[in-house]
Parts: sequence; C-alpha cells; structure tokens
Amino acid sequence: MSIPGDSLEARLVALAEAMEYPPTPDIAGAVARRLEREPVPTFGRRWPQPRLRFALGLSLLVLAVLGLIAAIGFAVGGLRLTPAPADPSLSVGGRGFGERVSLEVARERADFMVRVPTLDGLGDADRVYVATPPAGGQVSLVYGARPGYPVDPESGVGLVVTAFRADIGPETFEKLVSLDIRVEAVTVRDRPAWWIAGGDHVIVYRDADGDLVESSVRMVGDTLVWEEEGVTYRVEGAPSLEAAAAVAESLR
Amino acid sequence: MEGRPLTDAELMELATRGDVAAYEELVRRYQELAFRVAYLVLGDADDARDAAQDGFVRAWKAIGTFRPGAEPRPWLLRIVGNAARNRRRGGARHASAVLRAAEDHRQVDAAPSAEAAVLAREARDELLATLARLREDDRLVISLRWLLGLSEAEVAATLGVPRGTVKSRLSRAMARLRDELNREVAQ
Repeated sequence: MSIPGDSLEARLVALAEAMEYPPTPDIAGAVARRLEREPVPTFGRRWPQPRLRFALGLSLLVLAVLGLIAAIGFAVGGLRLTPAPADPSLSVGGRGFGERVSLEVARERADFMVRVPTLDGLGDADRVYVATPPAGGQVSLVYGARPGYPVDPESGVGLVVTAFRADIGPETFEKLVSLDIRVEAVTVRDRPAWWIAGGDHVIVYRDADGDLVESSVRMVGDTLVWEEEGVTYRVEGAPSLEAAAAVAESLR
Repeated sequence: MEGRPLTDAELMELATRGDVAAYEELVRRYQELAFRVAYLVLGDADDARDAAQDGFVRAWKAIGTFRPGAEPRPWLLRIVGNAARNRRRGGARHASAVLRAAEDHRQVDAAPSAEAAVLAREARDELLATLARLREDDRLVISLRWLLGLSEAEVAATLGVPRGTVKSRLSRAMARLRDELNREVAQ
C-alpha cells in the first residue's frame, strides 16, 4: 500500500480544516496603540513612470545591492549573508560589519580617505569596523541612540555610516527591478544620491553553490546612498531622509 | 459611504494616503493570518504576537514603499514573515512542537458513522504526527502552503526566497512526507 500524491494533498487540506491554533490576540488594538506613538510616515510619494522607474530602479538598486553586499561581506565562491542580530542593546556583531577596530586603525587599513560625520549631537561613533573584501576595505561607523536618531528596537542600532570602494560587478542584479522597495532620487553633497525607503531591503546574492538566492534581509533601516570620488557611502537607520542627509552633509 | 465594506485594495489605497483607520482595519483583517504565519515560523504564541505586531508597525512605517495596485496580502506577509524570521534569528524561543499542540483539540467533521469518524481521526493523527517529525524546513513549507493555504508566491514572500525555491523545496518536502507515511504503512 502506498500514499498516492493527490490523496496526500487532499489529506493535508482536510487536516488544515481541523487544525487549531492558539487564539489570535488583539494585534490590531496593540498596533493601533503603537501607531499613535509613531511619527507619521511620508505619504503621497509615487513611483515614477515605468521607463524612468526602470532606469532609476536599476541604477539605484545596483548601488544599493553593492552596498548591502559589501556590508555583509562575501567569501570565495559566493556571497555570505550575516544579518544583524535582533538584540535590544548595541550589539551588531563583528561578523556583519567586519573587525572592530579604532578609527585610527580603520583609516590605516582603508584604501580611501575615511570621512566621519561632524553633525552636532552625533559625537564619535560607538563602534568602528573595517572589513575586506571588498577590495580597498569597507569602514562602518556604528552609533547607538543619539538625539533625533532613535535606536531601532530590532537591530539595536541608531545609525550606521558605511564607506567602501564600489568595484564589484553588477552581474547578478537584473531581478531587483521587480522588488517592493521605494527609491527616490535626491541630491546630497552636490551629488546624485538615492533614498531607499522600506524596512526590508531585498537583496540577491550568490550562495556557496553558485545559485542566485533572493533574500529579504533587513539591515538597519532606510538607506541613503551615493558615490563620491570612487567611494560608495551609505547612511542607514536615520528616521527620515532629512535626518540622513544631515549626516551625509556633515561628513568631513 | 458606499454601503459596502471596502476591499483590501481600497483600504490599502487609503492607508497609503495616510488614513490610519483604514490601515487598522486592514490589520484587523490580516491579524489572524499574520499571527498564524508567525506562530508556524516561531512555534510560540507570545513571540508570534510580538512578531506580527512588529511586522504591522514596520509595514505602516514603510507604507510609502507599497506599489499602487499591488496586492496587499503578499506585501504584508513579506514584512510579517521577515519580522518573524528576524525574531527567530535573534534567539526567540522556538518550539518544534508547534503542530502537536493541535492534536488533542481537533474536531472530527461530520462522518457517516462513529467508526468512520474514528478512522478519520486516526488518519489525521498519523499525518499530523508524521508532519511534526519532519525536519523544520520541510514542516514549515508544507504548513504554510497546505495548513494555512498560502499560495506559492505568498509562501515565497513569507520566507523571503524566490518562488522557484518554494516550488522545489515544497516538492522535496512532500516527497519526504510521502516516504515517511509509506514507511509507517509498511511497518
């Protein structure tokens, strides 16, 4: 006797009807209470026309993915994801950003000038990481809570400023144009920049087997990204575009 | 008022323009599904509640990213699924006995006789117990697809993987479930 395939699906459907789950709590009520405390999101921004959307989305997403890929590091044979832990303390692990070092050491190791934000109230970064690859190094400045830059409860991070040389080939990014992240072209430091909004950045990477994998891995939050003198900068986790741009403009 | 309940798409359209009441109505409609999805991922009701709440709050913050005309359900599932998976990575309790909890409380639907009802119950118990013994990835993909009735695209959104991955993963998981059931029958 064997279990035919069609009957197995039918049995699962019957089982589904009999399943009992824990009672659903009043999530809507709890969410409503939390939304009262949330800043009002930005509304009314619309995706641009399809052709422009495609071009803008593709170019930005390449940059965004380059940044995200660089942030997580990659190994021989493919990229390796290292998502930030969901710890309420400032506890982003060294694996995600690289080796924890002093700012001075990061400046020695990076193959580019490491700029730091000079925005009032931000002060020095709580942690500095350096990673290679990417070639030329990547430097991440990680901040806990600062005035106007609250800590994300899941990542435990208030702000991350990352810089790296963008020298990675964009061969794997064609699928990204279909993804649900919103991209806005802006200007920072008199350069074209992009604001990637949405809590869930979706990235595509190559796993150890060489297969393309699409994964929704939250890093720190909404991201402002731009390129300057061959270096790609990302400001992640700021509560708004304006707050991210203020950090960007203060880089010295 | 138009005298009929607004559709999900209409509520989402209002929500993207800042109508918090419309969004809260959407949350009410989806809270049970979101909670059960998170429960299957996490295996703990308290963690599932927190993950679903976090997901809905995050979705509100990111509502500007919702593309007009898209279906709200997979978009919300993607965010709630991501919240649940992040919580699991972050060390949330993770019970593997999630499916066994339902065994003692299940109803036996209308059966032609008491004997048939007993047989139906035994068959379900066997299926449930076998499913519960599968490895976690297999159990989760089968549960989302067949016990919660998500489409493959929705399972993909929930798990944050491509649809093709869900298709192949589901196919392998069903084959293993079938093998396990056959093995038990043969014994």
